[in-house]
Amino acid sequence: MSRIEAKKPSLCTSATLTKDIVSHSVSVLSGILKSCYGPTGRLKQLHNGMGGYVRTTSQSSTLLSGLSATHPILKVLTASVQNHISRFSDCGLFTAILCCNLLENFQRLKLLPYTVVKINRHLLSLCTDYLKSEACACRILVDFNSVETLLCLVRSVLTSKPACLLNKTEADHIGILVIKAFLLTVPNNVETNVALGKCIIVPVKNKRVMDSTVFSGLLIEIPELQLARTFPIRRVSSSNIKMALFCISLSGDHSSTGEGTVVVHHGVSLELAELDQLLNLGKQLVNDQVGLVVCQKVIHPSLKQYLKEHHIISVDRVGLSVMEPLSQMTGSKPIAAIHSLSPSCYGSLKDLHTENFVSKCFLHLIPNDTLVCSLILCNRNETAWDELKVACQTAEHILQLTVKQPLALLGGGCTETHLASYVKYKVFNLPTSTFKALDCSQTQYQLVADAFCHSLESVACCLEHDNGEILTDAVYGHFWSIPSGFPSDARWSDLVSKCGCGIHSKQQKLKWMVLRNQHTPFTPQSCCKDPCVKSPDLRALDCFAAKCSGLQVAVETANLILDLSYIIEDQN
Amino acid sequence: MAFRNVNRRRHVGLQQLSSLASTGRTLLGPLKSYKFIVNESTNESVLACSVVRLLESLDLTSAVGQLLNETIQAQSKEYKTGTTTLLFLAGAWSSAVLECLQQNVPVPVIVSVMSEGLHSCSERAKCLQVSVHDLYKGPDSVPIPSNFNSARPQISENKTPSAASTSFLNPSMHLHKDVPVTEDECVPEGPCSHQANTCDLHNRYFCSPTYAAGRQMHSAVGPVGDKTMLSIPGTSLITSSCNKIKLTHSRHFNAVGKKCSLLHVGSFQGNPIGPSAHCYEYKDFGQLAMALSHGNQSSMKLVQDIVRCQQWKTNPTGYVTSVSPENAAVTKQLKGQLLQILLVDGDLSEKYRHLGFNRPTNVKTVSESLGVQESSSGCSWTSRMLDILMQSEVNLILVKGNVCEHLMERCILNNILIINPVTQNVLYAFARVTGAKPVTYLTQVNSQCVGGGVWVDFWRIGELSTEELESRMLISIKAEGSTLVTAVLSSTVISKMQVIDDQFWTCAYRLQHALTDGKVFPGGGAVELFCLSHVQKLVDQALNQANKNSAGEFHSAPCWMAESLAEFKPLVLKALASGWHKYLSTVMCNSANFTSEFEASISIKHHLKKVTVCGSPSAYILQEFNLREVVGKVGPDPLTKCTEFVQVYDNVTAKLEAWRRALDLVLLVLQTDSEIITGPKRNELLSSPLSSEFVFI
Repeated sequence: MSRIEAKKPSLCTSATLTKDIVSHSVSVLSGILKSCYGPTGRLKQLHNGMGGYVRTTSQSSTLLSGLSATHPILKVLTASVQNHISRFSDCGLFTAILCCNLLENFQRLKLLPYTVVKINRHLLSLCTDYLKSEACACRILVDFNSVETLLCLVRSVLTSKPACLLNKTEADHIGILVIKAFLLTVPNNVETNVALGKCIIVPVKNKRVMDSTVFSGLLIEIPELQLARTFPIRRVSSSNIKMALFCISLSGDHSSTGEGTVVVHHGVSLELAELDQLLNLGKQLVNDQVGLVVCQKVIHPSLKQYLKEHHIISVDRVGLSVMEPLSQMTGSKPIAAIHSLSPSCYGSLKDLHTENFVSKCFLHLIPNDTLVCSLILCNRNETAWDELKVACQTAEHILQLTVKQPLALLGGGCTETHLASYVKYKVFNLPTSTFKALDCSQTQYQLVADAFCHSLESVACCLEHDNGEILTDAVYGHFWSIPSGFPSDARWSDLVSKCGCGIHSKQQKLKWMVLRNQHTPFTPQSCCKDPCVKSPDLRALDCFAAKCSGLQVAVETANLILDLSYIIEDQN
Repeated sequence: MAFRNVNRRRHVGLQQLSSLASTGRTLLGPLKSYKFIVNESTNESVLACSVVRLLESLDLTSAVGQLLNETIQAQSKEYKTGTTTLLFLAGAWSSAVLECLQQNVPVPVIVSVMSEGLHSCSERAKCLQVSVHDLYKGPDSVPIPSNFNSARPQISENKTPSAASTSFLNPSMHLHKDVPVTEDECVPEGPCSHQANTCDLHNRYFCSPTYAAGRQMHSAVGPVGDKTMLSIPGTSLITSSCNKIKLTHSRHFNAVGKKCSLLHVGSFQGNPIGPSAHCYEYKDFGQLAMALSHGNQSSMKLVQDIVRCQQWKTNPTGYVTSVSPENAAVTKQLKGQLLQILLVDGDLSEKYRHLGFNRPTNVKTVSESLGVQESSSGCSWTSRMLDILMQSEVNLILVKGNVCEHLMERCILNNILIINPVTQNVLYAFARVTGAKPVTYLTQVNSQCVGGGVWVDFWRIGELSTEELESRMLISIKAEGSTLVTAVLSSTVISKMQVIDDQFWTCAYRLQHALTDGKVFPGGGAVELFCLSHVQKLVDQALNQANKNSAGEFHSAPCWMAESLAEFKPLVLKALASGWHKYLSTVMCNSANFTSEFEASISIKHHLKKVTVCGSPSAYILQEFNLREVVGKVGPDPLTKCTEFVQVYDNVTAKLEAWRRALDLVLLVLQTDSEIITGPKRNELLSSPLSSEFVFI
C-alpha cells in the first residue's frame, strides 16, 4: 500500500564558513586527520560501538569512507578528497589537511571570497609551474635502473601506515615484493600502446609477514580436499591447456527466467532439463579439448563429476575480482551462455600446477605471456592485514604513476616547507602588474599568500605528534625537527640531526630558524647539481603525480567551499 | 559519526588491556587454577581452564577487548598453544608501557625500541633451539634424560624456597591436579585400547591416509606412496608427505540422559605425526612427546598412542561412532562381511540442493488430470533412491548432512547402514582408501563412485552398557589400508569434558609443531631468562653508545628521535624485559615453588648474575636447563604415582609468535588515540550520559 505525502519545501541555508557549526565540524575533521598524518601518526579505531569488527587505521581512504560526515560542506570536502584518492591512491591525508588548513586560515582573513579565490588560484599556478619546471629543487628523477629509489618510494608509503605493524625487516621485505610484483606487470616488449598487467593480492591472514611472497601467474585458492583429485590434466599440447571461463552460474537453477511466471506441466522437471543442458555443455567442452573450466559462480555437482571423469579440472566460485585478470591473462572471453559456444571464446594456459603455501592450497595458472602476478600477502591479524593490503595497493599504484612520469618529490615535510619558502620569495618579488590583473591590492595579496604558505607549512608540522619543535633552514628551506623542552641556551646545530627527507645533515652548518616565525624571504637552493639524487640517506620520497594532484585538489576544493553562499537541501 | 579521544590523561586502551589480561594470570604455568565463570542472572556457570575458553565467556564489547579476542583467537587458530603467554605478556607489556608514558617517553621511541628489541631477542633466542633430530640422533650435545642421575632426588625435594638457589624455576611440571578420573585414564599397553568410562565418552577420530601435496617437513622423510594421485608428465606436483594435523571439527553430541552421558567427537585429518615419526624410535619419540606435554601427560599419552597406531598400522580403531538400535541391528547383519561404501557430501533428502542453487520462485506446476497427489512424489523419490542403492549394491553410506527419515527406515529394512552426520574429513579419509568418490546426489551414483574393502563391527560392546548411552550403540568402521584412529577421552565430571578436550588438542598440536619446526626450545623459562640477559646486554650497549648517532636504526621515526634515544632507550628496554620478568616470576609462584613474587624475583636476579658471569648466556642456559634438568618433573601429588623426571620443551614458532602478537597488540593500542563510532550507535550515544565524552560531526 502506498501513501502519498505532501512534498516538503527545500531548505535553504546560508553556508558561510564563519558559522560556528561549520567551522567546528571542519576543525574536528581536520583534528582527526592531522593526528593520523605521517609515520608516527596516531591510529583510530573505527567500529560501530556494538561489538562489531574494530578497524584500526590511519589511512585516509579507510577513514573517509568510515566517517559519515553529516554537514554538506564536509561532504563536499570528503568527496573531493576521496575522488583524488580513487585516482592517485596516495597523498589523501595531505590533500585533506591542506584543504582544512586553507579554509581555517582564509576564514580569519575577513576578505571577500571572490578576492581570496582569485589570489589563491594565482598562488596555485605559481606552485604547479615551479613543480613542473626543471628548476624545481624539491624533486628528483627516479632511476628505474636501480631499486634504491623505488624502494624508498614504496617504503615511504608502507612506513607512513603504522597500523600495518611492520618492523624494519618486514617493511623491506614487503617493499621488495611490491616492486617485484610491479615489475612482473610491465611488458617486456615496449610497443606503441603499453598496457600494464595486473597484480592480484591473495589474502593469507594469521600468518607471519615474512611468509608473504610473489608468484607470476594467477593463484586461485581451492579446497585442500579437492587438490589431490584435480589431476591428471587434459592438454592440447605439452605447453597448451585450453581453458573456458564462465561468468554465469552453472548451478542448474534456471534463475535467468526473468519476471513473470513459468507454467510447467506436471511431470516435467525444469531441473532435469537444465541439468541435461549442462551435461550437453560438458560434452561440448570435452569435444573441444578443454582442460580447465573456471566458473565465477557455482558449478552443478553432476557437471563437475562429468568433467572430472573426462579429466577436465573445474574450479568454481572464484569470484568477480579474478575474472578480469584471468581473461586478460589467458585470452579467454567470459562465457555467459551454456550453449552454442564459439571456439574463439576459449583461452589457453601454458601450464597448471598446484601450490601448497602456508597451509593453503592453490591452483597456479601459468599463462604463456605473463603480465599477471599474485602477491600472497600475509599479516598476523585482520586489521593489520587490511591496512597492509591498502598500503600495498597504494604502493603499486604510485609505482605505476611514477613509471609514466619518472619524478618524485622529497618527503618528510621537505617539499612543503621548500615550496612555502619558494612562494614567499616569489611573492616578495612580484611585479605590481600582477596585482592589477588580479584586481587586488598588494596587501591583500600578501595576506592571502601568507595564509597559503602558513597552510602548507602547517601540513608539514602535522608530521610531528610528540611536541617536537619544527625548524627550517635558510638555504634549502627543508624541514627539520628537534625534541621538545630543549634548554634555552642550546644551539640548534646541536639539536638537529637530519632534515625530513634525509638529504641534508647538521654537518652542513646551515642557518636554522623556527618554521612558522616570520623571516625574510630567500631563494631556496637546489640540494645538488645532479637531478638524479642517489643519496643513501634518502629517507622519504613522495609520488610526484599524487602530490601535485593533491595540492591542486586541496586548493580548488577550498576555493569551491569559500565560494559557497547557500546550501539548498531537498528534504524529501 | 561520534569521536572520542581515548588517551587524554592516562592511556585508557592500555589500562583496559592490562586489566583484561590480568584475568588470565592464574592460567600461566603448569599448575593452572581452573576458573568458574558464573552468570549471575541465570546462575549458569562455565569451567574455564584456558585463555580461549576464558575470553569466550567474558564480555569483550569494548574495542580493545575485541582486538584482544581477535589476537588470541588468531594465535589459537594457528598454533593451539601460546595463548596464555600471549595474554600474559600483552598485560605485562601494557602496564610497562604505561609506566614509560608516565615518565614522558615519546610514543615513537617506545614503539621503535620495543619492536626492534623484541626482534633482536627473538633472533638471538634461536641459538637456544634444539633440533628434534639432535635430541635423539645427535651427539651428546643435548643428552636425553633417560638415566637417572644424582641430581634427581635433589630436585624432587626442591620445593622449598630456601633451595631455590640450586634450581632455577623448578615448577612442578606434569602435575595433573585434581583429575577425578578412574584408573582408566591411564593408557594400557595395547595401542588404542583405552578403557572407556562407561558413563562418559569422549570420542575422537583420527585418520592418517597417505596424502598428496603436503609440505615436506624433514628431509629424512621420503615421499609417501601415493595411491590416489596420478602424476602426469608436465605437472609438477609436490608429492611429499603431509605432516600436519588439521583440526576441522569438534563438537558435542548425544542428548543428556538420566546420567548425563556425553559423547564428544572431534576429528582431524592429514598425516599428522605418522610419516615424520618414522625416523624416531618409539621410546625417543615418547620422550619428546612427554617433554612437550607440559603437565598433560594423560592427553599426550593418547597422542603418542595415536602416532603408534598410525605408524605401525597396528590395530587402528577405525571410525568409531554411535548408532541407533535399529542401525545396530543392521550392523549385526553386516558384521563380518566386506562392504561396499558410498560417501554423500550433502543431505540425503528430496528437498536438498547443493550450495549456490537458488530455488525458482516463479514456477507454477499445472496438471491436466486429477488424482496426482503430492505425497506420492515423496514415496517415489524414496523408492527411486533405494533402487539406485540396491542396484549399486551399497551396504554402507556415510552422509555429511541430514538423512530423510523415510529413506533411513527403508534402508534399515534393506540392511543398508546409513551413518550421519559424518565430517568432511572422515568422508575424504574413506574416499582415499576405499576408492569411493563422494557424491552430492544419489542420482550421480555410478560404479566409479562406490568403494569397497570396508567392514563394520561393534566397538567393545561387552564393556559398555547400552542403557547409559541412551540405548545407542558404538560401532567401528574400518577400511583396508586406513589408519583412521579414534581416541576416547573420558571423565566422570561432565564440566571437565571441555577442559580435557582442549588439553588433548593442545598436546597434539604441540607435538605437531615441534615436528614441523624441526626444533624445540628448552622449556620452563629458559628462553625468557635468555631474553632477560640479552636485553641487559642491549641496555649496556645503549648506555655505551649514548653519544653515537643511531638514526639509521629507526627509519620511520622523526629525526630528533635518534637524539632522544640515548635518554630513553635503556628505560624502554627495561620495560620490555619487565614483561618476561613478570612472566617468569608468575610461573614460579603459580608452580608453588615460591611463596611470593619477591622470592621468585630474587631467584631470577641470582640466575641473571650467573649468566653475566658465565659470559655466554646460551651456554649457561643450555647447561642449566638440560644437564641439570632444573625443570624436571616433581610429583608431589600422591595420586600421580609417576616419579619419573621428564625434560620440558616448548614450541619455537608458537612461542615467538605469541610474543610478537602480544607486543603488536600493545603497540597497536598504544598508538591509538581515539575511537570513531559509526553507524546507528551514534544517535544512541548522542542521547546517552556518555555523550559528553564524544564529539559529534
